[in-house]
Amino acid sequence: MAEHSGGGRGDSAGDKAREEFFSEAQEIVDGLSRDLLALDEVCRRGGSDAELVNDVFRAVHTLKGLSGLFGAAMMSGLSHELENLLDDLRLGRIELTPQVLDLLFQSVELYGRILSAAKGDGPEPGGEVKALLAALGQVAQQKGGGGGSVVAQYELDPGLLGVLTEYEEHRLRTNLQAGLSLYRMRVQFQLATIDSALDDLKAKTRPHGEIITFLPTGEGGDAESVELEILVASREGLSVLGEAVAAPNVTIEEVRRRDAAPPGTKESIRPPRPPTLSDMAPPPLPSFAPAPGLDASQTIETDDYTEGTRTSRPPPPMHQTGLPGAQSLPPPPPSAPPNVGGPQAQRDQQQRELTLRSVTQTVRVDIRKLDHLMNIVGELAIVRSAVSRLTERMRLHETVVSGRSGSGDGSARDGELRELATSLTRLHRSFDRHLAQMQNGILEVRMVPLGQVFDKLARIVRQISREHDKQVNLVVTGAETEIDKLIVEELSDPLMHMIRNAIDHGIEDRDQRMLVQKPAVGTIALNAFQKGNHVVIEVEDDGKGMDPSVILGAALKRGLVTEAEAREMSTKDVLALVFQPGFTTRDEATSLSGRGVGMDIVQTNIAKLGGVVDITSEVGIGTKMTITLPITLAIISVLIVEVAGRTFCMPLASVEEAIVFDESMVRTFEGREVMTQRGSTLPIARLAKVFLLEGHRAGVWFNEDAKTPTPPAVSASRSVGGRPKSYVVIATVADRRVGFVVDRLVGQQDIVIKALGRSLKKVRGFAGATELGDQRVGLVLDAAALIAEVLASVASAPGEPARPSPVGASGEVAVVRRTADDVFGGGGGAPPARGGFA
Amino acid sequence: MKVLARRIEGRSAMQRADEIGNRAEYLAFMLGTEAYAIEIGNIVEILKPLPITEIPRADPDVVGVMSVRGRLVAVLDLKRRFRLARTFTMDRKSRILLVDAVEEEIGLLVDEVLQVYRLSEAEIEPPTVLGTEQPPHVVGIGRPHGGAVLLLLDLAPLFAE
Repeated sequence: MAEHSGGGRGDSAGDKAREEFFSEAQEIVDGLSRDLLALDEVCRRGGSDAELVNDVFRAVHTLKGLSGLFGAAMMSGLSHELENLLDDLRLGRIELTPQVLDLLFQSVELYGRILSAAKGDGPEPGGEVKALLAALGQVAQQKGGGGGSVVAQYELDPGLLGVLTEYEEHRLRTNLQAGLSLYRMRVQFQLATIDSALDDLKAKTRPHGEIITFLPTGEGGDAESVELEILVASREGLSVLGEAVAAPNVTIEEVRRRDAAPPGTKESIRPPRPPTLSDMAPPPLPSFAPAPGLDASQTIETDDYTEGTRTSRPPPPMHQTGLPGAQSLPPPPPSAPPNVGGPQAQRDQQQRELTLRSVTQTVRVDIRKLDHLMNIVGELAIVRSAVSRLTERMRLHETVVSGRSGSGDGSARDGELRELATSLTRLHRSFDRHLAQMQNGILEVRMVPLGQVFDKLARIVRQISREHDKQVNLVVTGAETEIDKLIVEELSDPLMHMIRNAIDHGIEDRDQRMLVQKPAVGTIALNAFQKGNHVVIEVEDDGKGMDPSVILGAALKRGLVTEAEAREMSTKDVLALVFQPGFTTRDEATSLSGRGVGMDIVQTNIAKLGGVVDITSEVGIGTKMTITLPITLAIISVLIVEVAGRTFCMPLASVEEAIVFDESMVRTFEGREVMTQRGSTLPIARLAKVFLLEGHRAGVWFNEDAKTPTPPAVSASRSVGGRPKSYVVIATVADRRVGFVVDRLVGQQDIVIKALGRSLKKVRGFAGATELGDQRVGLVLDAAALIAEVLASVASAPGEPARPSPVGASGEVAVVRRTADDVFGGGGGAPPARGGFA
Repeated sequence: MKVLARRIEGRSAMQRADEIGNRAEYLAFMLGTEAYAIEIGNIVEILKPLPITEIPRADPDVVGVMSVRGRLVAVLDLKRRFRLARTFTMDRKSRILLVDAVEEEIGLLVDEVLQVYRLSEAEIEPPTVLGTEQPPHVVGIGRPHGGAVLLLLDLAPLFAE
């Protein structure tokens, strides 16, 4: 079953089910990871959390069921062993040690890899799973029963003890070992209201202690009521607890020890000690045999199976979701009046509906379906502009007509036309508004909190810090910041890399930290927040920082910069060197903080998402890496510009302003063009040169005039000197600014941006393309990449041959000229940055 | 040609019937003065040229990108790819063959679409008749009845990295 997925375009029901299985399994594994981290936290504080262990158990159990269904043998096998381990854990047969936690974390890791392997992404981790299974088996052998004797010291009815589930027994034992007092409550419940009354009581008790079990006493009740005996373990005294649950139908007493010693004096407040061989003696309590005279079906079970089932293997949780209380009520006594069942059944029904409703609150949607919807919205936007043009024409026509024929002739038709035009305008406005709402709606659906990726990172931090034997605290803020789903998916790798680097090379060893009087535990802060149309993610560590002189030394050694360049570089430029592909620090790992290993990949990945990475660092204090990303990739506002007759779209989010270009303001420094704008220096780049465009050809080929493309309308505006007027679009990403010189500003528009296909992915400088109407495609500029490219070429030595854009070089020099028939730069001097069909 | 004809005559009627059943369909088109053909299964659609937007910095054989009902499709000029011409041309006969490529559809600009030929194995010569060293995308020479000579193309090598 697992193997018949097959590639191709098959979209059979089986494939779909499998896909759903994968995404559901992935979700469960993510949840598992979160729970484990929380558990780890609790453990480190020396505590334990039964509910968390139960959550983990449930997750694994669900995984087991799912993987069984889909014939994922490896996952199913792993889940089975894990389930056993977790069952032992929650029943206290083994202890939650760091080693056990490690195994659990390992299993999460392996689940992830099994899932990616199943999706054809990487090999199946067969060996590792086998090793983990062996380790799990070893842990299972160490289990012991221990602690029964504690229970025996209390004055508990053997009949009661006899019907405790193994789990309840374990909770009882653990609580008593932890030195808590045990109380026995007797409560009368009306059968008609027992569910809510019991919930009330539970809620009242919870702040003070834990309910171990409740059982009907078989006395004190009548046809309409039942008396329950409830065992509560609590740290509080009798008076406190008594007050908390006080009600006329409640009596409470403390269950005393047989030896009458005050409880809690002999046992320390610690989890049970590691089981030893002597603890392996069979537990003194006959756990599974129901006490004579007490039919199991008469006991009241809670709606939570973990507390109340009578077998060592609880039923799968999914069976539990729908029907709480359905099997939990004692059958009404035979003499019960018929009307008792009425309201009860009704409430059952209500509750069932409630639960069902909560289950169907969310749907899982394939992101491609949203893309599809987005495309349709894009088409609608094009329809809208066509309608807009029509409306405009109609109104013009109307004014012309009414202006021409003032007299009576045909005025009835004019009136009709005017009316039509008005309704059309109204309709168009309404359409416009709803379309905008729809766009926003779809965009919103695509947004997911960054927490999705942060959770994964928390696990990585734990793992890496253990590998390196460093203690690291991850402090996350802004996990609720939302960003496009597609971006989140692509973020995890770069972020993981950055965090790995921060721990690996940023955070010092404990001794070293002590030496410089830093806290022994290092801190990595992961902050996210929204800033205008962008989301900013910061990865900040309090490690040793990056030393510019060391980095520069390494870069010089590797020939990435020349001595002359090095002298002129600012600290920021130097730090940015770690993003250079050749910048490896492996050899200098001892002398240098070691950052930069793979940092070029980080930058490339972030750049693909239209973002930038910045570094600030202070030696001895720490390093901060800042990622600035667009919120969404789908709909953006753009400024449409014209360059040499071609139309391009510049994302408005990156546009600071557009000003009239004044050639006389351009200064040239070492062949780079800059201008002064509001007192600061602005590097400028002529887009026509960046893209090596020829002035006399339009970039769009129509069927009719293919051989003679329409010349661009450069003649439209000429400034005083006879030169064509042009503009500077000042683009900024993070704090980098470049002015791009364009011929014409066409206007502003919201567009649906689409990725260029696989074969065009390699062409640099474009974030995608969009339809501009009339079936024409407009290319959307990748502002971040272009700015980086321009600034990189500015920073490079003048003689360097392999730079894509000979920016600057005043006037008409240095541009590679091509033959007239060589339309697309295929001739001799093609720019190195081009890509496409191999 | 005589050799081929003899070979066909030498086969049984059964075999010939089989061959007819096994005939593959090829779409023939012109690039400049040469006739080419690709298996029809590769072709998604034949389009009249839509407006195509040039992509700066793309490879020289990339005409540009066009929108086919909302999807972006890169258009490749086979003539430039095969070095049959240094510039591309488009006129009323020009067509774009929308074909399946790796993870996307790609448009191939051709000068004219001729017709569909059904070629039996016997009507296909190995590419080696043109010389021993042939590029991987040339898979054979089709010689259908009626005397046309078609260079049969396999698209996969064209789109491989």
